[in-house]
Amino acid sequence: MIGFLLDGLIAAGLVGLAYQAVTSRSLFRGIIHFVVFGLTMALAWARVGAPDLAMAEAAIGAGLTGALMLVAYRRLVEDRRDAPVDPGPAKSRLALPIAIGSGLLVGVIGLSALFSDVEPGQAGQAVLADLQQVDLGNPITGVLLLYRGIDTLLEVAVLLTAFLAARALAGSESGTGSPTTQGPETPMVGALLAVVIPLTVLVSVHLLRAGSYEPGGAFQAGAVLAGAGVLLILSGRIAAAETAGLLVRMGLLAGLVSFILIGLTPLLHGGPLLALPGLWAVYFIETAMMVSIAITLVLLFAGGGGLKRGKHG
Amino acid sequence: MTPTDLITLSLLLAGCGFYLAGTVGLLRFPDVFCRLHALTKADNLGLFLVCSGLAVHSGDWRIVSLLLLIWLVGLLAATVSAHLIARHAHEHEADAPEEENELR
Repeated sequence: MIGFLLDGLIAAGLVGLAYQAVTSRSLFRGIIHFVVFGLTMALAWARVGAPDLAMAEAAIGAGLTGALMLVAYRRLVEDRRDAPVDPGPAKSRLALPIAIGSGLLVGVIGLSALFSDVEPGQAGQAVLADLQQVDLGNPITGVLLLYRGIDTLLEVAVLLTAFLAARALAGSESGTGSPTTQGPETPMVGALLAVVIPLTVLVSVHLLRAGSYEPGGAFQAGAVLAGAGVLLILSGRIAAAETAGLLVRMGLLAGLVSFILIGLTPLLHGGPLLALPGLWAVYFIETAMMVSIAITLVLLFAGGGGLKRGKHG
Repeated sequence: MTPTDLITLSLLLAGCGFYLAGTVGLLRFPDVFCRLHALTKADNLGLFLVCSGLAVHSGDWRIVSLLLLIWLVGLLAATVSAHLIARHAHEHEADAPEEENELR
C-alpha cells in the first residue's frame, strides 16, 4: 500500500515537474525544475529496481546536465541583459491533441505491459547462466562488455564525436568566458575541495570496481569523476584552454582506442571481433572508458578544447 | 512493535518534522538570509535524525558508519553552499532585488 502511494507520488511528481520545466515562463525556473525532474527520475529508476540507471540519471541527467544548463543560462541570459528577449516559438494548435495522444499511447503501453502474461525471452536467462562462468557478478556490466560490446564501443565513439562536434560548432572565440562564480577566494571553498575531491575520486574508483559485481561501472564512475572536474572549474582551480595538452588528448582517446585495440586482438588468432580475452581486459577497458568519459564531460562543461590552471589554481 | 522499531519511528518522524519546518521556512520567510537560516539549521538536524533513525533500524556497524559519513558530507555541502549564497546575496544586496523575487 505504502509502495503504491510512493510510486503514485513519484509518477505524479514527474509529470508535474516535466510540465513545469517546459512551460515555465522564467528560463531559470525551467532549469531548476529540470534538475529536480532528473533527481525524481533517479528515484523512479531506483523504485523499479534499476540502480545502475538511477545512478547514471542522478549523475548525468540531473547533476552534469543541470550544471551545463546553468552555465549556458549565465552566458546567454545573465551576461547579456541588454540583448532583445527571444519570445520563443509560437504556440501550435496541435500541441494539446499531440500531448493527449502521447499520454494515451504511453498509458495504453504501460497498462498492456502490466496485464500481459507473456513469458520473458530465453536470451536473458541464457546470458545469466553463461555469466556464472565469467566471474562477473553484475549482469549489466557483463552484458554491456561481453555480449553487446559493439553497442558500448559505439557509445564511447558517440561521446567523442559529440565532443568534436561541440568543438567545431563553438568556434575559436569560445573558452574565453570563464564560468567561475564570484567569491571562490573564500577559504570555505578550499576546505570543501580538500574534502570532496579525494572523496569523489574514491567514490568513482569504488563505482568502477563495484561495476563488476554490483551496480556501477564506467559510465557512472566517469560521471562522478566529471563532477569533481566541474567543481574544480567552478571554483577557478582549472580553466578551459584553447588547445589540449598531450595528457588531455590521451585521456580523451583512451577509452575508444583501448577498446578497439583489445577488441581487435582476437582476430589475430582467428577469434571473433570484440571477444574480450579475459577479466583483466574488462577492467582495463572500463578504467580507460571512465577516464575518457570524465574528461569529455569536463571539457564539454568547460567549453574549451583543453584544460589549464585557473586563476585560483 | 519492538522498542527498536519505536525508536526508529520516532527518530524518522522527528526528522521529517524538521524537514517540513525548514521547507516551510524556505517558502515563507521574506529574504535570502532568513530562508538560509531556516533551511540550513532545520535540514541538517533533520538529516541527522533521519540518518540516526535508519542507523538504529539497520543495527549494522558498517551501515551506521556509512550513514554517519553521509550526514557529514551533507553538512559540509550545505554549509559551504549556504555560505556562498549568503555571501553573494550580501555583496549584491543593493543591485538585484528583483532577482530574488524570481526565485520565489
